[in-house]
Amino acid sequence: MIVTITINGKKESLQIEPGDMLVDTLRNAGHVEVKKGCDTGNCGVCTVLLDGKPIRSCSFLAVRAEGHEITTIQGVAEEARRFADFLNREGADQCGFCAPGFALTVIAMKRELKNPTEEEIRHYLAGNLCRCTGYESQHRAIRNYLEADHA
Amino acid sequence: MHEAPMRNAPTFSVVAHPHKKVDGEGLMLGRPAYTDDLVPSNALHVKLVRSPHAFARIKSIDATEALKLPGVACVLTWKDCPRIPITRAGQGNPEPSPHDRFILDEYVRYVGDEAAVVAAEDEATAEKAASLLKIEYEVLEPILDFEHAKDNPIIIHPEEGIHEMFPIGFEPKRNIAAAYHMEVGDVEQELAASPVRVDTVVYTQAQNHVAMEPHAAFSYLDVQGRLTIVTSTQNPWHTRRLLGLALQMPLRSIRIVKPRVGGGFGAKQHIHVEPYVALVTLKTGRPARIALTRREVFESTFTRHQMRVNIRLGADPDGTLRAIDMQVLSNTGAYGEHALTTFMVAGSKTLPLYNKVKAVRFGGDVVYTNKVSAGAFRGYGAIQGLTGLESAIDELAHKLGVSPVELRRKNMIHEGETSEVFRIMGEGTEGVAMNIESCKLEECIRRGKELIGWNDERLVWEVAPGRVHALGMAIAMQGSGIPMIDMGSARIELQDGGFFKLHVGATDIGTGSDTILAQIAAEELGVDMEDIIIHSSDTDHTPFDVGAYASSTTYVSGSAVLKAAASMRRKLIDTVAMLWNVSPEDVIYEDKAFRTVDGSRHLTLHDFSYDTLYHNGVRMQTIEVTESFSGEKSPPPYLAGFVEIELDKETGKVDVVKYVGVADVGTPINPNLAKIQIEGGLLQGIGMALYEDVRYSDKGHLLSHNLMTYAIPSREDVGSIVVELVDSYEPSGPCGAKSAGEIGIDTPPAAIANAIRNATGVRLTHLPFTPDKVLAAIKAAEGAA
Amino acid sequence: MEIKEYVRPSSLEEAYQLMRTRHATPLGGCVWLRMNAKPVALGVDLASLDLDYIRDTGDMIEIGAMTTYRSLETSNLLAKQYGKLFPEALSHIVGVQLRATISVGGTVAGRYGFSDLNTTLSALGAKVVLYPGTITDLATFIAEGAESPFLVEKILLPKGVRGAYQQIRITRNDFPILNVAVAWTGSAWRVAVGSRPAATRLCHAAMQMLGSDPCPSDQTIEAASMQAAEETSVGSDIRASHDYRKAVLPVLIRRALLEVRG
Repeated sequence: MIVTITINGKKESLQIEPGDMLVDTLRNAGHVEVKKGCDTGNCGVCTVLLDGKPIRSCSFLAVRAEGHEITTIQGVAEEARRFADFLNREGADQCGFCAPGFALTVIAMKRELKNPTEEEIRHYLAGNLCRCTGYESQHRAIRNYLEADHA
Repeated sequence: MHEAPMRNAPTFSVVAHPHKKVDGEGLMLGRPAYTDDLVPSNALHVKLVRSPHAFARIKSIDATEALKLPGVACVLTWKDCPRIPITRAGQGNPEPSPHDRFILDEYVRYVGDEAAVVAAEDEATAEKAASLLKIEYEVLEPILDFEHAKDNPIIIHPEEGIHEMFPIGFEPKRNIAAAYHMEVGDVEQELAASPVRVDTVVYTQAQNHVAMEPHAAFSYLDVQGRLTIVTSTQNPWHTRRLLGLALQMPLRSIRIVKPRVGGGFGAKQHIHVEPYVALVTLKTGRPARIALTRREVFESTFTRHQMRVNIRLGADPDGTLRAIDMQVLSNTGAYGEHALTTFMVAGSKTLPLYNKVKAVRFGGDVVYTNKVSAGAFRGYGAIQGLTGLESAIDELAHKLGVSPVELRRKNMIHEGETSEVFRIMGEGTEGVAMNIESCKLEECIRRGKELIGWNDERLVWEVAPGRVHALGMAIAMQGSGIPMIDMGSARIELQDGGFFKLHVGATDIGTGSDTILAQIAAEELGVDMEDIIIHSSDTDHTPFDVGAYASSTTYVSGSAVLKAAASMRRKLIDTVAMLWNVSPEDVIYEDKAFRTVDGSRHLTLHDFSYDTLYHNGVRMQTIEVTESFSGEKSPPPYLAGFVEIELDKETGKVDVVKYVGVADVGTPINPNLAKIQIEGGLLQGIGMALYEDVRYSDKGHLLSHNLMTYAIPSREDVGSIVVELVDSYEPSGPCGAKSAGEIGIDTPPAAIANAIRNATGVRLTHLPFTPDKVLAAIKAAEGAA
Repeated sequence: MEIKEYVRPSSLEEAYQLMRTRHATPLGGCVWLRMNAKPVALGVDLASLDLDYIRDTGDMIEIGAMTTYRSLETSNLLAKQYGKLFPEALSHIVGVQLRATISVGGTVAGRYGFSDLNTTLSALGAKVVLYPGTITDLATFIAEGAESPFLVEKILLPKGVRGAYQQIRITRNDFPILNVAVAWTGSAWRVAVGSRPAATRLCHAAMQMLGSDPCPSDQTIEAASMQAAEETSVGSDIRASHDYRKAVLPVLIRRALLEVRG
């Protein structure tokens, strides 16, 4: 079957099977910025935004994205670059495999939560696993990133 | 009193600065960079058919139905593979691992072991074909308990032809993959003469690496018909060498390309996927791609070696440690990758911590079982040995009624000292004697105590009814590469425009080694980071390096880069001196420009780069150098780990409130990246201490086979992790550096066990310390009291 | 996951008929469905049935079957009625992204052993509306199921109930080893235990013991907690043993009861 999904602002008509998960559809369509890490919805590297809200593309039927807007990290590249700068400055970008999904969730969090506490930040991002950093440096970067807006 | 002055510690302008990771922004923006992002669109998709039995013989494989499916390109079985025993372990040549494995074999030795290969035009078809394969098994009784493997009537490797590469104690008919024993002094006599003794046992579990990128590879034949494999590997050259043997191909016909790698931790130090895509490409002539599912990563790549560590200590009443006896039983699973070396490291990278003992002994066996194979994993035996040793040291402190910190300070290694263990125990062979030229363990402990608020009189306190906080600590050492075995090289070439290409075989697997190696080159060449374009790694295009493991990249590959940069600097000066007809001593190179001492001549590096490539007529030349480095020693980094836990005595739940790690890594080439190596290592160690467990059914089926059943720490699990690096300078290291990759992981299991002991009076012996085990131990102690 | 045929009906009746006549598999949040190795012959997507709502009907709260966990967790309406109960029960589940797609109806229909939501709803005294036309006590439905085919249409929650949730997990967003919810309905106590590791059960004898006193004594609470442990069957899995669950069950119940009693 063919579905039409708006991906990063551009309408794309894609050939899919009804059981296909969105992550595979996106990667097959060349959106390899969406990573595949665990297949069970646990790790968060496949995060994309569905109408602005973060979801797991490995646990979401592609057919359900029909008529919706999907945003990958490429769709928020400018904001991602801004955040990347803070992350880079902390050295918190290690292997980078979780980075696109993680950054998308941070950007979604920034839109959704006003002045989040440290606890709220950790809680919102709990579904984005990282095995490299131990998370501390990511949080240093997030604090600086959020504070920069208030400065 | 042991504070040595900083020797030869210069001030740096690029090194020791927190430069941004060179690939950071690109990776975050999701630019195609990892193996599975780069697969040619016409590649066949490869699926492995895996054994559903812990131990079985394949009686027959019927591929008729599978081959009928449109789009299926081939089905390969053990009959299609060269009958060559190999090891999958990426290690030096010859490997200390036994060659006890075939690409595909008639026998399958654990649930998940490869039984057949299927390739098809798309992934769904490959999966479907895999499910249509009819494999008839003769099911055999497995060995699942590693304490009953040795001399069991069931023999896991009865086959002929498998062998060790040099003596490692390989006795497959006894289910022994490797064995080793050493003794300095007379341990039994010292123990007998010691007024205070402790005898402890610790069981450390298998652990999964859980690198976020699952293993992936693709292969194709290039225009010359050579086999190219792009793979998420930690060691391209070992991969090429092992594949050459496995496929019976000359190494000149194989090229390995390592793109960006999404984490390794030892998981990708082996050939797990490469042989299968290679087989398919060789068979069909087509590009072939494989990407393991997370379940396959759990079921069929490697784990940490499960170990039983028995420690006996003897001491005088004043706390002087007299003897250490460490006996280890290690479980290598179905195949013997890294069997001997992880086991030896349990002693060789822990026992030197207490170097003043009169007698020390280490020994034991590494046995086969019908479980997922064990392999390299950050910490590599040291974390297992250390969990045993540092638990025993705390028990000794309890027995003596002294401070665990002071007991360690009294007995631990200091700068300027050595240990016989260094000389005796190497990686499967004899070791290399070395003096410790940098050891700031005293300072690590002093600062760690400060950061955690250590008070010997108050190691446990109640915060609410039934809820206590408690402190614990442990110290650790690691190595920096394997001396006289690990080798790295670097090539630097001046480009028009006045920048340098830096090619290294060193394998950045996400640690930032490309960045720190570029920093070292920039420092020595007196240029900016932007002037160094680094590329790693590709067996056709970058010089040799053993790869990213054994905490070797900064020390070994970094030294190679430093040598190459120094050599390039000399070559630039020599070349300019020759052009100017002056002596090299008269040429000063500074601020990216050359000038004569008398100031009469001046030339920018930028202009020189054009001159040497375009303007100098017959004297035009590429300015290029290649240098290699192999360490004569392996200077250990050190770390003092301190933990504050909260323990709920009613539920047995242990939470880490704060973990402090203060480390001596020598000069941190990039303080940010070094610190994060430690922070990440600590959390992975905390995961091992409290959460992560590889679990099997009583038939040998893996129960923890995805991230729903094998939980790694999230960002909400640990209160805070505080890492500091103390001032230290290793004279033998590049710019004073040692290593930072592994040392972080080593202390948490012991420090947390010690904190639980302080909280409850109970010594937990089986990792991980889940609520169930903690509560059971508390209740057992209450019952006994 | 393979779905051979896919239909997205626009009415419950249509969806129900496909289940009745063609054994169609309803597609809710689809978070657990994909764990099935078996292909789905006919998938009926419930996404276009307008079942995503949380509304106050005056005497109760209605939650549509396709409402997501994330909606429950962030609902002001639920927060006003039940305080932090829903966020406390649900926000440990994996991450915001997955909770944005896990559906209430799928959880209830699946009667999953590990469910935090079913324990919470059982304690609150929720009812489940099954299409076509039955209203059942949710706890009873979790225990006994219903005759197929059926579709979960919505959940009905009584108002004026105060609940508390307690759980023990190895990591913060792992599946629970055990979860417990208790509630004071205004006239009686309700005690539910889930993730035993089997599905949620009410502890009737313990509820009886707590009686109709909104402020039971510490002794009563202790006794009821022990009673709950006594009457609830638990098992072993990779996360914990039977003995552990038995030992920690009364602790969690006591803590939850004390939280509601104040």
